[in-house]
Amino acid sequence: MQSERAIAGESGHNRGPNRLPAQAGEVLDRSTSIRFSFNGKVYSAHPGDTIASALTAAGVRVLSRSFKYHRPRGLLCCSGHCPNCLVQVGDEPNVRACQQPVEEGMEVQAQNVWPSLERDLMSVNQLFSRFMPVGFYYKTFIHPRSLWPFYEGMLRRAAGLGKVDPETPWGTFDKQYLHADVVVVGGGPAGISAALSAASQGARVLLCDENSAPGGHLRFAAAAAPLAALLKELEEHPGIEVLSDTAVVGWYQDNWLAAVRATRLFKIRAQALVVATGAYERPLLFDDNDLPGVMLGSAVQRLIHLFGIKPGERAVVATANDDGWQVAADLRAAGVQVAAVVDERPVEGVAEGMEGVRVLGEHYILAARGAGAVRAALVAPVEGGGHSAGTGAQEFPCDLIVVSAGWTPAADLVYTAGGRSIYDEERAEMRLSDLPPGFYLAGRVSGTHGVEEQLEEGRLAGGAAAAFCGWGSAPEAAEIAALEERKTAEKRRTSERVRAAGKKKQFLCYCEDVTDGDLETAVAEGYDSMELLKRYSTISMGPCQGKMCSMNALHLCAQVRGQSVQETGRTTSRPPAKPVSLGALAGQNMEPVQRTPIHNWHQERGAKMMVAGLWLRPEHYGDPEAEVRAVRQGVGLIDVSTLGKIQLNGPGVPDLLERVYVNQWRKLGVGRVRYGVMCNDEGVVLDDGVCAHTKKEEWYMSTTSSGASGIFEWMQWWVQAGWGAGVHLTDLTDVYSAFNLSGPQSRALLQKLTERDLANEALPYMRVRAARVAGVPCRLLRIGFTGELSYEIHCPSASGLHVWEALMEAGGEFNLVPFGVEAQRILRLEKAHIIVGQDTDATSDPLAADMAWAVKLDKSDFLGKRELVRVANEGSRQRLAGFVMEGAEEVPEEGLQIVERDAGGELEIIGWVTSSRFSPTLQQAIGLCWLPREVAAQAGNAFTIYRRGKLLRARVHHGAFFDPQGERLNM
Amino acid sequence: MPFRLIRQGFSSGPPPRMWRSQPLKDHYDVVIIGGGAHGLACAYYLATEHGITDVAVLDKNYIGSGGSGRNTAIIRSNYLTPEGVLFYNESVKLYERMSADLKFNVMFSQRGHLTLAHTDGAVNTMRRRAEVNQLQGVDSRLIWPDEIGRLCPLDLSDHPRYPILAALYHPPGGIIRHDAVVWGFAHQADKRGVHIHQQTEVTGIHVEGGKVRGVETTRGRIKTGMVHNATAGWGSTIATMVGLKLPMNTFPLQACVTEPLKPFLNVVVVSGSLHVYVSQSDRGELVMGASVDPFASYSLDSSLDFLEGIAGHMLELFPFLSKVRVLRQWAGLCEMPPDYSPLMGFTPVQGFVLDVGWGTYGFKASPICGKTMAELIASGRTPELIAPFRLSRFAERDLVGEKGAASVGH
Amino acid sequence: MLILECPNCGPRNASEFRFGGEYKPRPQDPMAAGEEEWVEYLYMRDNTMGVQKEWWYHNSGCGMWFLAERHTRTSEVLKTYQWSSDTASGDV
Repeated sequence: MQSERAIAGESGHNRGPNRLPAQAGEVLDRSTSIRFSFNGKVYSAHPGDTIASALTAAGVRVLSRSFKYHRPRGLLCCSGHCPNCLVQVGDEPNVRACQQPVEEGMEVQAQNVWPSLERDLMSVNQLFSRFMPVGFYYKTFIHPRSLWPFYEGMLRRAAGLGKVDPETPWGTFDKQYLHADVVVVGGGPAGISAALSAASQGARVLLCDENSAPGGHLRFAAAAAPLAALLKELEEHPGIEVLSDTAVVGWYQDNWLAAVRATRLFKIRAQALVVATGAYERPLLFDDNDLPGVMLGSAVQRLIHLFGIKPGERAVVATANDDGWQVAADLRAAGVQVAAVVDERPVEGVAEGMEGVRVLGEHYILAARGAGAVRAALVAPVEGGGHSAGTGAQEFPCDLIVVSAGWTPAADLVYTAGGRSIYDEERAEMRLSDLPPGFYLAGRVSGTHGVEEQLEEGRLAGGAAAAFCGWGSAPEAAEIAALEERKTAEKRRTSERVRAAGKKKQFLCYCEDVTDGDLETAVAEGYDSMELLKRYSTISMGPCQGKMCSMNALHLCAQVRGQSVQETGRTTSRPPAKPVSLGALAGQNMEPVQRTPIHNWHQERGAKMMVAGLWLRPEHYGDPEAEVRAVRQGVGLIDVSTLGKIQLNGPGVPDLLERVYVNQWRKLGVGRVRYGVMCNDEGVVLDDGVCAHTKKEEWYMSTTSSGASGIFEWMQWWVQAGWGAGVHLTDLTDVYSAFNLSGPQSRALLQKLTERDLANEALPYMRVRAARVAGVPCRLLRIGFTGELSYEIHCPSASGLHVWEALMEAGGEFNLVPFGVEAQRILRLEKAHIIVGQDTDATSDPLAADMAWAVKLDKSDFLGKRELVRVANEGSRQRLAGFVMEGAEEVPEEGLQIVERDAGGELEIIGWVTSSRFSPTLQQAIGLCWLPREVAAQAGNAFTIYRRGKLLRARVHHGAFFDPQGERLNM
Repeated sequence: MPFRLIRQGFSSGPPPRMWRSQPLKDHYDVVIIGGGAHGLACAYYLATEHGITDVAVLDKNYIGSGGSGRNTAIIRSNYLTPEGVLFYNESVKLYERMSADLKFNVMFSQRGHLTLAHTDGAVNTMRRRAEVNQLQGVDSRLIWPDEIGRLCPLDLSDHPRYPILAALYHPPGGIIRHDAVVWGFAHQADKRGVHIHQQTEVTGIHVEGGKVRGVETTRGRIKTGMVHNATAGWGSTIATMVGLKLPMNTFPLQACVTEPLKPFLNVVVVSGSLHVYVSQSDRGELVMGASVDPFASYSLDSSLDFLEGIAGHMLELFPFLSKVRVLRQWAGLCEMPPDYSPLMGFTPVQGFVLDVGWGTYGFKASPICGKTMAELIASGRTPELIAPFRLSRFAERDLVGEKGAASVGH
Repeated sequence: MLILECPNCGPRNASEFRFGGEYKPRPQDPMAAGEEEWVEYLYMRDNTMGVQKEWWYHNSGCGMWFLAERHTRTSEVLKTYQWSSDTASGDV
């Protein structure tokens, strides 16, 4: 019936010597052609062709060179699972040519070849392979040590496959969330059947299939199957969504699935899951089993039926089950001469349709012959369970060796979900067990090979999955048992033969060029568990991630160790099940940036913006020192909207404040503001800010910009874990904007915009008032981080820009200057105010950080009290102190170390500089630093700062550098 | 070409075994729990430097199956505290001669290590580290975008969120073949009579009168007076067997690799703000890791969140890698003590010593940990180099300041 | 991705929550606590391999801090509930 698929008489559209007449079910659009290049040579393809199919049609057999020995490699699996067709497409490395559709003008290059794919000089490595056994690099290049970088350079030049180009843009990628009752992975007969059955019970079903259309092996490899009818039903069912070209690449906890379609990542939450991912066809080991022209049976069937390609002229088919015979029939129907079918099993009589074909039962392939491509197959009898060479070996000239000897379940998702494998000795296959709840299998992945059985298993699994999420009822146990019986009755067996009795290289791992001998050597050296073998030989660590090699390696390891396959165990399966691009995983470039309502205004005024946590803030508007002078002499305005802002309501607030701050709060009257420091129970400073008692049972707290979200969470925790009686917290960080108007002229300026009396008596230092500013209801806090008369104006963010612009406009006559973070840093340093997180770190306590005045150890329990009492008793080893430089203009960079000479004359670190600036007000370099207690204790004490080999002198300074009495604050 | 490869090339016999399977004896002088780089290094130094060879190294799985085989193999000594720098610098020195010492090429590639600073605060922290390093004789300095650009193809254009302002450059830092370190130590320890017992899980520890008497394993009981807890992730579980609670929590740490690419990245690049570190291995793969998972767990399951996060952060630094594919992801376990520094040395239980709490930086300390713990076990005294990491520092409030680096950058 | 059930909002992706560490009651009166008890509270952790009682915060949701009992090996969440003085016998 395979021959019915061939439609004669369309040869007029053929391109390339190997193109067959149109095949039923092929994916090509033969009405037009597109052109692309491979290694600079132009080829033609039809829409629907993959790079590999088009090249195969054109007679190109060698697609790549192998990793270690640079041996020529051709199409092997044609299903995206092996490394043999990895190519560079433009700026994209490691593209699977058998999966990538050809696009007009595509530039395709072979990877890691020098100078060319045809003549790769690196293949000289093969000559020395005797001296480059598995893990050879561990045993050489040791002496002399000085030469290792040279050797490493050589290794590195040989390493890697495709190339990246630093000019490649990020490109367009995105993500989508999907939800379904039942997700079916795999659109073969079992998957389609599962989707239909789950949907018929009422479940919402999502079917993901990695191929361009559902159908699975029915599209290219099956006997009479009702594919068209199935697809029609699938399409018409309203409860099923089908995503083609969509590979489910990862199972994560609670049925959270990652699926990828080209540049899009789907994140899918499934209630239940049917995995119908099929199986990987398994290669066989024989001499030179990597020669171009050795292909898997399913690859050949794909070429013929999907792409209308004749995969060779004369073939030898090696098999151990009935699949190989179907392949042989397909080959004959496609006009390929089948020289021999070699079956490991005894064969009786001549199969239907195989007339004239040499059939060799109880034979196997000993070797591929040829240089650069298959020229012949050497076939030998299987004897007494073992395999011996020489006796009765026959050579069959051919250009194609087709291997169809068994399947490995595509169980990646099952294993990552915690499923276990049990080796079924009877069938020589892995069976899967211990599936998590709501996780079902159907089809070849669960060892079901017959189409009828696959459909039935899909029906049962789909029904069970739907029932798991509450739709309909689960299948009867009897139905499941009946199916199991049918599966067992199938009596098929995968070849267990792991190597031929050959004399040449038999490749186990195509990615890394690991041979059977390499594996045997590694086991003998002591790397005798699968995981150690993997790490030492690098088997299964290449681009195929073990899809081609892991079962053969397992069999071989078991054989070499004289263990059972089950005892030998397998390596851990790790996501993703298929390689996924960083772009798809990353999606759009969406690192969030927070902007204040004044952001655009700042930018229009030429502000240099800087990153502060998630925020962007103006660092300065051109001349930070001028901004400092403006604040000291006139008036300046800074956007401090980034401060954390928390409103606290309720009668319990004072108690809470007493517990979370180290200072005193209970007696703070309405209308007053206080600076506060928060510690944790280790006594480490967490944050600082001010808190205002705005009205009865209402308080308004500010935190540092970077501490905003953390402090809100921290307070919420204490509130919700027992300290919350009579307290309600509201995070107002984004709700309010805040500006600090600072400088001797600030009162006069602000008074122009508000009717609230701002006289010192009416609104003294450290007080809060409600006031309308420029018509907007605001909170005015008279506080002073800069050391000048200052008003912090908090207004609703929606009116933020209005208030800001009103201030700027009213400020014209006062020469109001906007200032940025840099000027603020200088201004506060002149006042020796610390910045939590800059002058303190995750180990600093407030006593050591020169904030002892804020710590009230005599009040009742508060966070940090016990440790601070202890520190107070024992004394701090280090103290934060101010300093002035002896060289008035020498500003030591922040982070420099403070040193002294120890007894031996060596420089010893005794402290470090946390803040330092040149003070334009004092015309002097000043700073803050950590020093030993004894040194910090006395103002005027000299010490030494180490700066790139030079030693700078500085002297300890206590208190504010400017206006130490704070007179300017009380104007 | 070394003689042994030539010999192996022409010989038809089996190659020499790296380590042997031994019968489990009923007594060992020292039992080391954990067949990773730390435990095996300790066994190696016990045998080579102290002549103590009646040693069993137990691993519940295969050697190197824990943190030693799951880390991203970065070696550096550019720490923040003087005690940290001193300690890791000794480790780097041992790594430098390790291939020769172990007669096994561990492929230590001192290709340079860059820690990026994206904020002013981070620039200051990097400068602080550079200064501390230089004063301790460690090659480490602050460099600026032009020099960064010459070292690697980072995207130095204007990033709104993560501008690259500067970097801490540490030329002796680099990467190594982590498994080779494990195998090299195992081979040399085995050669000197140490017994390496794989697939041997400790199920209990006998303590009598405050002293260790023996170990219960899945393969039988062992009498011993000295048990060394050299596990990672499971340190608390083992300590619980002697009734000890430790100051740490176990968190998974994830990593991933891409398909092999022709080498284009010749330095290790770390960004603390972006929680990413990346290097390109000698096979051409990009090896990438992140910070620990957001919640405590003993699970080795991978997460999609990790992959999405690290991909976004990688592209922030190297946007041209968007078409490069991730091949494999995995997780290991890390123990995080409150001061980001390990727990090493004696405990209140006599004969029970610790080398745990290694956070995300245990592998780079393997040889020096083995050496100092061997000295501690052999001499009964705490070597000065590891005294800052003693368990009693918490009760004494003498924590290590390494955490300082983590918090700065506000 | 793990699903956690917020006692307030119901089952949500774990990415909506922030982990708050193992449940570790603060001594009622720190100043009166013994030094050993205090050091144990400050620094020592059970680090349970098994079912752990722990804090979670619904930071991308309702802002509730709640307790979860979760197996640290399998990540199976056995239950989640709001803190109350009953569940914690008065401690914080």
